[in-house]
Amino acid sequence: MNPTRLTRAGLLAYGILTLAFLYLPLVAVGFASVSKSRYLSFPIRRYDTGWYAEALASDTVRDLLLISLKVAGIVTVVSMVVGFFGALAFARYHWRFRGLFQKLILLPIFFPQTVLGLALLMWFNAVDIVPSWHTAVVAHLVWISPIATLIIAIRAYSFDPTLEEAARDMGCSTLQILREITIPLLMPGVVSAGLFAFLLSWGNFPLSLFTTGADSTLPEWLYAKMVSGYSPLVPTVGILTVAGSAALLAVALIAPSIVRMWRRTPQA
Amino acid sequence: MERLDRRLGALCATPMLLLLGLTFLAPLVVVAAFSIMPEKVFDLWHQPDFSAYVEVIRQGYWTSVAWALGMALVATVILFLICWPLAYAMAKVYRRFTLVLTIGVVLSLFVSENIRLFGWVLTLMKGGLIEGHLRAWFGTGFDGLLYNVPVIIFGLVYVYLPFMLFPLAQGIAMIPDDARQAAYDLGASRRRVLWEIDLPLAAPGIVVGGLLTFVLAAGAIAESKLLGGQAVIVIADDVETAFTYGQNWPLGSALAMVLIAIIGSIAIVGVSRIDLDAIMGRRR
Amino acid sequence: MNQNVILQIAGLYKRFGDFTALHSIDLKVHDGEFLAIVGPSGSGKTTLIRLFVGMDEPTDGTIWLRGQRIDTVPANQRPTCMVFQSLALFPHMTVGQNIEFPLKIRGMKPAERTARALELLDLLRLPRSYHGKRIHQCSGGERQRVALARALAFDPEILFFDEPLSALDYRLRKTLEKELKDLHARTGKTFVYITHSLEEAMAMSDRIAIMRAGKFEQIAPADDIYNRPVSRFVAEFMGEVNLFPLTVEESGAASAGSFTLPPRATARFGLVAGDPATLMVRPEYIGFVGAGTETEPDLSVRGRVLNEFNLGSRFQYEIEAEDGQRLTVETQRDERFGGAIGDTVTLGWAIDHCHVIRGE
Repeated sequence: MNPTRLTRAGLLAYGILTLAFLYLPLVAVGFASVSKSRYLSFPIRRYDTGWYAEALASDTVRDLLLISLKVAGIVTVVSMVVGFFGALAFARYHWRFRGLFQKLILLPIFFPQTVLGLALLMWFNAVDIVPSWHTAVVAHLVWISPIATLIIAIRAYSFDPTLEEAARDMGCSTLQILREITIPLLMPGVVSAGLFAFLLSWGNFPLSLFTTGADSTLPEWLYAKMVSGYSPLVPTVGILTVAGSAALLAVALIAPSIVRMWRRTPQA
Repeated sequence: MERLDRRLGALCATPMLLLLGLTFLAPLVVVAAFSIMPEKVFDLWHQPDFSAYVEVIRQGYWTSVAWALGMALVATVILFLICWPLAYAMAKVYRRFTLVLTIGVVLSLFVSENIRLFGWVLTLMKGGLIEGHLRAWFGTGFDGLLYNVPVIIFGLVYVYLPFMLFPLAQGIAMIPDDARQAAYDLGASRRRVLWEIDLPLAAPGIVVGGLLTFVLAAGAIAESKLLGGQAVIVIADDVETAFTYGQNWPLGSALAMVLIAIIGSIAIVGVSRIDLDAIMGRRR
Repeated sequence: MNQNVILQIAGLYKRFGDFTALHSIDLKVHDGEFLAIVGPSGSGKTTLIRLFVGMDEPTDGTIWLRGQRIDTVPANQRPTCMVFQSLALFPHMTVGQNIEFPLKIRGMKPAERTARALELLDLLRLPRSYHGKRIHQCSGGERQRVALARALAFDPEILFFDEPLSALDYRLRKTLEKELKDLHARTGKTFVYITHSLEEAMAMSDRIAIMRAGKFEQIAPADDIYNRPVSRFVAEFMGEVNLFPLTVEESGAASAGSFTLPPRATARFGLVAGDPATLMVRPEYIGFVGAGTETEPDLSVRGRVLNEFNLGSRFQYEIEAEDGQRLTVETQRDERFGGAIGDTVTLGWAIDHCHVIRGE
């Protein structure tokens, strides 16, 4: 019944291979980003970090970075708030249309993002809104806030509703319950939802494609360069965006332990 | 308390409902409205007709629909087969490696899809990571592996792997070990246990995983564009072209409606059959 | 104990859709008493307690607390407090923060709050150092005490308990039963305790209210409930019992199948011919009649020993009477039956230990 050691070893190897498979293309991009030649060809003969210097000095890249950051930042904050309440409606409260609500939230996730972007473009046009990075925020929210809701809902499911009842029994108003019990207990879920929201928005391309108007985000610019012909800046900027995500994640993973250490010190 | 629950539930759902109403349902209504406008108009103040739908049928767009659905189906089946052992191992065999794998797979999702596909282009192209090194080491190269149908399916499998893997692992985690143990104890073979216990009990995860990958793959564009070149055109690509190069919003809308109708009906039928509370781990 | 009524309910109804959980019930809780509400699961006791604290609203009926209507008052404004089955301790707060929570909500100053929390730790016999401990660092029994301290913190009029001991193991449950009874004596508060365990109710409470299918079957002190149940349901719910349907004859004698009740006994119970009635005897009042027995018992039955069960402090026997009725007998360890399974024996007991339940 229990898997044999051989099965275990085989499955472990399979898992490692899967990870390798997922990251192999990034390795190729990484190599390409440090190739000196303007026309890429493997194996790479001469390595050079010149493209990085150029990318970092470029005004275009800085503008793209700023827009991507603004979009991702606003999407993060809004989807955390909307997702927090959405998750309570999704998982915690028993209300009449809960089943319907749960299913409605799933629909945007299932929806082809390019088509959603086009639909939004027509909608903005119909109500006379000129597309810019602001409208891209809206487009990202349609897809990302349901995901944030689901992430927080997982936390809300494991939350014991008698805690709220006990707080009410001891004299809390609905708002006090929210502040003292619900928010602190769901906070880990809200934080990871925010992290997901930021990273998904940062890397999203199909929703931005039609909704940014004259503005452009990093993934959009990369796509434009990829389809219009090779530019040596593409792998470089690509790796820079990945490095940005990785840095944020590293901070997010390390921050809790630093906070804990910092909290412990004054007490000791 | 029940009354309070009901009030608070509706109240908490309001921001999300407003958001989705204004940015998801309203745009869909606009798409539907544009799809019954005459050719090449950019506003909705015209006599409705069905010329765009006639165009959809007359120009034989059904081939791109068939390509999209066919490739999505193949990719879904392949993904199920390659993800099942991995999901099983994540739920029942691995211990700490489950966390490593989960984090590894989730992290890959945060890298823009087009960067990852571009990486595959660099890997598979003539003079790319594979062919270039083969030629350098053995002196014989080949023509590169891009721009055909199998590579598009490969791209779909690559991009949507997490969407099959995680629901499957969640579904398999819901199989009680006792039930499997009991089945062995009662004399079932491994294959029988898979068939009689594992598959039925993991069904919610299989449905969610299959649904997600199929629907997302059917609406995907980047794989066929970046990896497939112009080998085949999928319906989502047609939609985009109609809007951009064609500047024909009604035609694009009609094509989008076809795609929405297919994906929407599959998604709605599938979603209505699953108990989200059970899958997401409700305690009560 | 004074007999002032602190909590009163009248005509309380609760319906959930088609299901009626409470059928027009009435109850008076006396100031300072320990009342246990006992019933099998689904009898409506949890519904009742949720109405008391305001987590649900009654479909009909009234609840008064010290003469004031409270059924329309929201849960957070009622001067009552509940100890939950899950305890509902806040996992993100320390022991001290949990205990101080209701005081903080009522706007008490931090220094006063802490002082009160420390007093409560003393009252519950928890070390003061626990004030800064995390909930997950506490054992099951300690958590129970923290929950009690928190419930007592704002000095509620009544404490309600929703089976808080049901998840604990046997030894810890016994210890906490004693502590709870002791806490009741020391604080003088009114405790209303719901449980499905007869043992728990008997051990702690002044009065017991038995619930069945959304109604009270009997409300009385524990001894009365045990020895003088009003119905077969109560008799059977309150532990092992022997029940004999009686047929009262014109002569005044009553037949119970394998034995006959003499006319003086039926007269004592006030039974007349045609009355439907059941005779009840608890198993511990029945003894084996042997050669060494000095006096003839009032009532006796012959039967065959089917089985012996060792209960630890006692022995229990299953006996089949000559007419086929099964009897349960319990003896102290030193009165253990000396013979073998299958032996024919004579059982005897006194009329004083019998109780008659009237009705069908």
